[in-house]
Amino acid sequence: MPNSKLFKYPEEIKDKFISTKGLKFKNGTTVSSAEIWEFMTEEAPRRFPYAFDANANNIGRFSDDVHFLSGIKRAYLTLTFKDRLLKEHAAGTPTVLVQGGQAMDAYYAAGAIPVRPGLVMQWAQSMEEGLNLRQSETRGINILESGRRKISIDACNQISAHAAIDNKVVPIDLIAPFLCLRCSDMAFLVETHRNREHDIPRYMVDYPVDHENKPWAAEYIEVELKELITKIAALSGRKITDEVIFDEIRLENRGRKIANEIAELWWNAENPPINSTDFFAIAFLANDFLGDPVASVDLLEQSKQEIEERVKNNVKGYGVPDDAKRLYICGSCVGPNAHHAETAGAVFVGRDDNWSCISVLVEEEGNPYLNIAKSMLEYPYEQRTEKRAEWTAEQVRRSRASGVIFMYQWGCNYQSGVARMISDIIREKTGVPTTFVEVGELGRSEATEQSTNRVEAFIEMV
Amino acid sequence: MGLKTLEKITAALTSRPAELEQLRKQGKKIVGWLAYNIPEEIIYALGLIPIRVGQGGDGRLVEVGARHISTKNCVFVRQVLGQFAEKTDPYIKQLDLVAIDATCIQLYRLEELINFYFDYKTVVLGVPRNFATKEGHEYFRKEVEHFTKKLELFAGVSLEQSKLQEAINIYDGIREAIKTLYSYQSKDNAPLSWRDVSAVINAGYNLDRLRYLELLQELIKEVEEKTSEPQENQAIEARVFLSGSLIPPGDTKLIDIIEQLGGRIVGDDLWSGLNFFLNLEIKEPTPFGVADAYLDRIPHASLPYLDLPTDGRLANLKHQIQQFNADGVIYHTLRYCDAFTFKAGETKDVLKNVPFLEIHTEYSGSDFEAIRTRVEAFVEMIKNKKEIAELV
Ligand code: SF4
Ligand code: SF4
Repeated sequence: MPNSKLFKYPEEIKDKFISTKGLKFKNGTTVSSAEIWEFMTEEAPRRFPYAFDANANNIGRFSDDVHFLSGIKRAYLTLTFKDRLLKEHAAGTPTVLVQGGQAMDAYYAAGAIPVRPGLVMQWAQSMEEGLNLRQSETRGINILESGRRKISIDACNQISAHAAIDNKVVPIDLIAPFLCLRCSDMAFLVETHRNREHDIPRYMVDYPVDHENKPWAAEYIEVELKELITKIAALSGRKITDEVIFDEIRLENRGRKIANEIAELWWNAENPPINSTDFFAIAFLANDFLGDPVASVDLLEQSKQEIEERVKNNVKGYGVPDDAKRLYICGSCVGPNAHHAETAGAVFVGRDDNWSCISVLVEEEGNPYLNIAKSMLEYPYEQRTEKRAEWTAEQVRRSRASGVIFMYQWGCNYQSGVARMISDIIREKTGVPTTFVEVGELGRSEATEQSTNRVEAFIEMV
Repeated sequence: MGLKTLEKITAALTSRPAELEQLRKQGKKIVGWLAYNIPEEIIYALGLIPIRVGQGGDGRLVEVGARHISTKNCVFVRQVLGQFAEKTDPYIKQLDLVAIDATCIQLYRLEELINFYFDYKTVVLGVPRNFATKEGHEYFRKEVEHFTKKLELFAGVSLEQSKLQEAINIYDGIREAIKTLYSYQSKDNAPLSWRDVSAVINAGYNLDRLRYLELLQELIKEVEEKTSEPQENQAIEARVFLSGSLIPPGDTKLIDIIEQLGGRIVGDDLWSGLNFFLNLEIKEPTPFGVADAYLDRIPHASLPYLDLPTDGRLANLKHQIQQFNADGVIYHTLRYCDAFTFKAGETKDVLKNVPFLEIHTEYSGSDFEAIRTRVEAFVEMIKNKKEIAELV
């Protein structure tokens, strides 16, 4: 059951940790490692006890690899998300609801903080402090259910984010996602806000299907991006020039490059240098930037150095089993529990969703709007299913995966629609076994047996 | 009312698969199409034979389709996939090409699956979800132009303006005729039922379009001759308007229930019904002209629109309810059809005092009794209200 034990960072790593570099933030400040340590060992456990729940079912549980010090800083970025957002918002920075798995360059360049639905949900849960895991989950489920009651029981968990916005649990100033091809619910959930009292402004950047060799597809997105940036700039007051956008593109490209280098290091290492939780959490920084691209890129650089050191010394990440079965994870917004998978003898080697947008750099010269548009159209995850599957098969080969799990959420019509086809193609192209799992219990740490059992049975079979 | 033309339409439909077989032997090609914004005029003008495919109401085919997709996809999509998997449908087995537009992305996914698993040649028409903007129009113009080029290659001929104009004239005629047939529903003593009109529409998607237009005109003539005869007065009826997800041929569960319980369906804004024929005015016989006309008609619910007061779909719904003198709305949503399901509450809010019943269903018969009970209460409620109003 949850809340049995609380996780604590051990005192014996403190000296080593505080001797490392702090984190630089976009407002020019630096938070020292001593301050980070203080927050993660004193303040955060008091304010967010649920985050420290050591129960294996806690899908948001931090990594047990306490010697991977960048992992602690990564957790710091997660737990300070709320404070950072509220502070910036109070100072006039607009917050924007966006789609996950997309480049955030345009939003940050225009002076906003983009927040994907998953982070809106986490933010909403953290608005009440002192909650244990069960209380925090109950709070999340109540928000989710209020959304489903209002809209539909067929909606995926993303509805929580919209309910949190509707119920003013978190302040969002603009609802303006990219629509892309991954997500069935976003467009219709954005539309539901037109029938609400709050009247938060809304916009959508459409994503044309079958866009290969169609220059008009990129031109269509280019115009939409201009509109998007104009709308955000009107809220942020930032004067937008091409150079402002290119500065952001350069910074985020840097993050993407480092994340790719980390993946290569990890894939080619004899022993996986960091465990599944850390690997995914660090890579995610180059996909989302967690409200602060400067801090995220700084942390990516520090992480890479640590990982290089580990690879040089053939250190295996704590928690990674010996002769681990290597699993590649497919699908959006949900994934298997890393702690369970590692206990069952597996390690995660990659994830198509997050890697998709990290794998594409935005050109740094010319027309920044068109460049972003073109990069969006290149995301492997948003291609025709056959092409997406071929890219994933290549990832499976490069990461030397020995099994592929495709997971999708209850209510996700598009990922569920292609799960079988993608699994079939990957199996055919790589000879690696594949399976797909529907998850209905996202957001809960209880009653998760069904998907856990399916994942464990698959690991055994692999 | 026994109408001879209805019998003719049924007979034409019965012989159509064999007729198509012959035409294929003579080198004609059949283009099956699915979704909501395929410009049939262009297919027709290129000398190809357009057939709208996709049926509903068959739980077994839904199961067959679900082997390749998931149970979290709309039941119509699953059944159509089942039809393509089995290839026993007399039309589906004769298709040379399948055209699908991306108004609903679930249908776009379906296109990928039939192409991958069942080896059908497919062509996709992108549809902008920012459909009301200038850039959305620009994009769609190019898409329709590209779609036309692909069809030209497939047909081995170029699109001629005069041929396109001819096609537009035929389709305009069909649209006008269907609107006329619907207009009878606003009367108390309609000469043919909504179910009859629906059957006529469904037949038309398979028949030769010129022949179909002739049959429609004949039907209208016959109906008008007969309606001049005086009709006796009828009892109080519950005039039901159908809205929501499409009700394709074969899916009669809800229609049967409404009619068995004494409700009379008088109109709809379904994409398997009237909406398809409304507000489509092609001003210029070119792919661009066709594109603009298709994008400017009543938007399908799959295309999100962010401003409630100016939503054309809702404006049309309100207008049609009035036109058909409807007493209440049954809003039919298929499970996992988010396009319509997510808007159910909002539609109810917008319609304010119009009695409204949402039926969220699948093609299995397991919810038959539950739906029956709810529709019964709804029909009774409407009749009671009208009775009281008559007394007052
Ligand atoms: S689960 Fe699917 S529908 Fe829901 S937010 Fe994720 S991609 Fe969109
Ligand atoms: S609009 Fe709805 S009913 Fe039509 S295909 Fe799409 S999901 Fe199915």
